[in-house]
Amino acid sequence: MNVVLTALVTSLAILVGVLTVTAWGIWFERKFSARLQSRLGPTMVGPVGLAQPLADLMKLLQKEDLVPEAADRAVFNLAPQIAALCALGAAAVVPFSAHIVGAKIDLGVLYLLAIGAVTVLPVFMAGWASNNKFALLGGMRALAQSLSYEVPLVLSAMVPVILAGSMDVSKIVEYQAAGSWIAIGPVWLGLPAFVLFLLAMLAESNRIPFDIPEAESELVAGITTEYSGMKFALFYLGEYVHTLVASAVAAALFLGGWDGPFAPGLHWMVLKTLALFTFVYWVRWSLLRFRSDQLMKMCWYWLVPISVALLLGAGAWVVL
Amino acid sequence: MSSKPNLDTGGSFTHPLYQTLERLPGVSLGLASLDDLLAWGLTNSLWVFPMATSCCGIELMAAAASRIDLDRMGTIVRATPRQADVMVVAGTITVKMAPRVLKLWEQMPEPKWCIAMGSCAISGDFYRNLYSVIPGIDTVIPVDVYVPGCPPNPEALMHGLLRLQEKVQAIRRGEKVVRDPNPELIAITKPSVPRVCERDRDGDLSREQADQALRVTADQMCSPIDVPYAATTPQKPVFAPDFAGLLTELGIADAPAEGPPCVPVARHYELTRRLKDLGYRQLVSIVASHWPAGLGRKGKDEAEPEHFEVTYLLRTVGKGSRVATWTVRLVVDETIPTIVPLFAGADWQEREQYDLVGVRFEGHPDLRRLMMAENWVGHPLRRDYPIDTPCAPWR
Repeated sequence: MNVVLTALVTSLAILVGVLTVTAWGIWFERKFSARLQSRLGPTMVGPVGLAQPLADLMKLLQKEDLVPEAADRAVFNLAPQIAALCALGAAAVVPFSAHIVGAKIDLGVLYLLAIGAVTVLPVFMAGWASNNKFALLGGMRALAQSLSYEVPLVLSAMVPVILAGSMDVSKIVEYQAAGSWIAIGPVWLGLPAFVLFLLAMLAESNRIPFDIPEAESELVAGITTEYSGMKFALFYLGEYVHTLVASAVAAALFLGGWDGPFAPGLHWMVLKTLALFTFVYWVRWSLLRFRSDQLMKMCWYWLVPISVALLLGAGAWVVL
Repeated sequence: MSSKPNLDTGGSFTHPLYQTLERLPGVSLGLASLDDLLAWGLTNSLWVFPMATSCCGIELMAAAASRIDLDRMGTIVRATPRQADVMVVAGTITVKMAPRVLKLWEQMPEPKWCIAMGSCAISGDFYRNLYSVIPGIDTVIPVDVYVPGCPPNPEALMHGLLRLQEKVQAIRRGEKVVRDPNPELIAITKPSVPRVCERDRDGDLSREQADQALRVTADQMCSPIDVPYAATTPQKPVFAPDFAGLLTELGIADAPAEGPPCVPVARHYELTRRLKDLGYRQLVSIVASHWPAGLGRKGKDEAEPEHFEVTYLLRTVGKGSRVATWTVRLVVDETIPTIVPLFAGADWQEREQYDLVGVRFEGHPDLRRLMMAENWVGHPLRRDYPIDTPCAPWR
């Protein structure tokens, strides 16, 4: 009973925490991108525009819920829910501190990679069910991109797994706390793996410079072209939660997670996650997007061979 | 999906269960504050769908960029109508575009609003009597806020959005929103067609009233301007030597005192082919004009039948470019051989002349309308095209 209660409270706390951080992450992105473009961003709604996400939510709640006549209704309605669910599900195994973990499972990394791969499904469901050429093209691009970038993502995530000798995310963090962070562990091994993981993570969550599935100039709004109101909000939320959780995973696997001096673990984890989160936005609002073929070429010609080499290197490092 | 909440009566809030709930103590207080919260959300997150067709669109972009920054009030631009709340019509809307605008408007989820930005979107401005332009977007979709200007500056657009916020708030409070009457402005900009009025948006106007108040009478309509023929001193044109030689060789000596030489229809294709062989490899333009009976190049001329003149312009490519231009004269039912086999670029030019003037090009692979809507009746650049009765689909 006690165990169940603890799990319930922890997961609820994580859920609320992640959702809150995401909502104001959207506010932060708008402010941050505005500053990059010498604008101000939201200022009028609440102090320094802090109530903007709330206003957007209230507005989206009231919008008409449209389903195109020719759409596959069931799949169309299911896609945004799965998108939000998958993104939130990944947060379960991320250790926010030594004690705040939703679920301590031995195959944490495998679970994360699996659930990351499933996020492709709602994207393609939405693209297919909308019965809209822009949505379909967006869905196809997203599918091709995510399947390709899955390979370097998995291979680079295997480097910390091999070094720490465990698939439990908490164990990996403990290994780093005892020794050095994996990003600078053996620096010739950890740093390239970290960079590869970041790149593949950006591509997985369809952010610029890899956001070709929703390139406005070509595809209107990509897979969300036909989505209005709360269904769109769920997609939007899923996308941001995915970025946030992916940042947290990167921080846990490569940057030592909750390990750090002076302050309790949670502070360090949150700090590292938000730093990576900011980095993602920084990249997003500074760079242009790739072309579809350039994207594939970069993945299969460069990222996959390099990540295989890193994997072999990690194996050799452990054995020798 | 098509039914939208009736803001006057409360729409679906008349359900008996809802009414019972509302009578419970304390509930109405909560509902009132909830309603305030919802209205606050609705007004502070107006996402724009940019229906930008011309120069006003540049100001719309400027409004979203730094210095003005619509994002300050939570307004961002969405690329898809499904996620937008406000359609900003910025620019001249043509007859061909209007059905598309209507379609995009219908694709936006309720509740939705429309801002007509700039004088073209409001009334058509100086294009309003043109055959292809609609006199204001409010003849097609209901408009909530008009932002005047040509184009309005970004601050004006922001002011329009702030006024829209006030209007949305007022409607949510159940107040009627009435346009500010400005008799002088109405006299100046009196539209010739009735506007789309919705009871939600203009509570005090009925359709008949709008019709009566806003329709132009026959005596107010301006007549086409009669421009007298301006006499010029005739100037003998000088042709490039190879072009002049070719004209002599083909026996086309019928060069008028001014303007390009007249080529008979029968020799037209051959002339074009020979010119292409001589190095005139670029087709610059094909321009057709229509001359009603009694009107010729020298002005009024009773002997002239109704006819077309099709003028061609070719040039050589490279240094010391030479041009060759000639005119083919056609009586009304005559056709002219196409030059598409020689110049692929003639395809759309010939279609354009067919569309606007009505000249038939014989042997053209795909002689369809190019610019006007597919169901357009008549050819608008003919001089007998009735200017006062344009065949717009909504009239």
